[in-house]
Amino acid sequence: MDREFRKIDIDAYDEDVLLETELYEPYPYDPATALDQAKQRAAAVRSSLAKGDVPGALGNILDEAPYGPNVEDAKTLTLQTLVTILNSTKSTDIPGVVKSLSQDRQDTLMKYLYKGMGMPGWGDLSGSVLLGWHEKLTEAAGIGCIVRTMTDRKTV
Amino acid sequence: MSNTLRPYLAAVRSTVTAALTLENFASQVVERHNKPEVEAGSSKEALLNPLTISRNENERVLIEPSVNSIRLSIKIKQADEIERILCHKFARFLMQRAESFIVLRRKPVTGYDISFLITNFHTETMLKHKIVDFIINFMEEVDKEISEMKLSLNARARVVAESYLTAFTS
Repeated sequence: MDREFRKIDIDAYDEDVLLETELYEPYPYDPATALDQAKQRAAAVRSSLAKGDVPGALGNILDEAPYGPNVEDAKTLTLQTLVTILNSTKSTDIPGVVKSLSQDRQDTLMKYLYKGMGMPGWGDLSGSVLLGWHEKLTEAAGIGCIVRTMTDRKTV
Repeated sequence: MSNTLRPYLAAVRSTVTAALTLENFASQVVERHNKPEVEAGSSKEALLNPLTISRNENERVLIEPSVNSIRLSIKIKQADEIERILCHKFARFLMQRAESFIVLRRKPVTGYDISFLITNFHTETMLKHKIVDFIINFMEEVDKEISEMKLSLNARARVVAESYLTAFTS
């Protein structure tokens, strides 16, 4: 007897089924444009870092960060750029830098910190640097920042 | 406490505190059921983004929050074969007695050594900061416990080998 039909997920055909795409607004740019933007930002960040302007570099990379399922290349490049900023900041400067960021930027930074910690050993990521930033950011932005990271569907 | 362990535990503490904002939430799929959404996984709007906190490749914590429960999985440091065996036996010992620990899960999530499942009923009957303290305390103790067991195992092996081999001297 044919029992295959029992394995069909009938809930997926329900008329008021919730789709992944309905949970958040889609990312407005297509993958190629997103990657171009990420490259431009990486260049801008390098020039700010050369001048020693860490808050400027962070502000540059954290605004309109790419999110959503299709822009993996842009996301990876953004994370890579961010990691170079994080690694090149002196640990005594971190509290001042995170305090100077706006709330949206703090939230995005927190998302990237968790993303970085989620892939240990990737590139030149170092756990202790990320944990140091995490501690200072939590001191400055509070628990609410972590809650917003958990609840925001726009994963970076 | 060593210098690198402190920020790791601080990060776990703040993340668990943030994740432990739970409320009673009945299943949306089955009427009159109330199950931990993180385990059931039946409605994705009730699940939140899972967060990982890692110290290095071998030591990390995965926190999967949802509206009425969180699942916290710990990967314990295992430097060599003996530590791996000790860790496995120790985690198994605890998980077979999961009822006594209330928040312990009977099986770890794949890729991790031990898991906790905290639901809204736990946060209603117990103090939230005490649950967080318990998790942090557990993470501190488990490393200590395993390295202690390793030392006593080596000491015992040495004594056994010595007393066995005395039969051949003379």
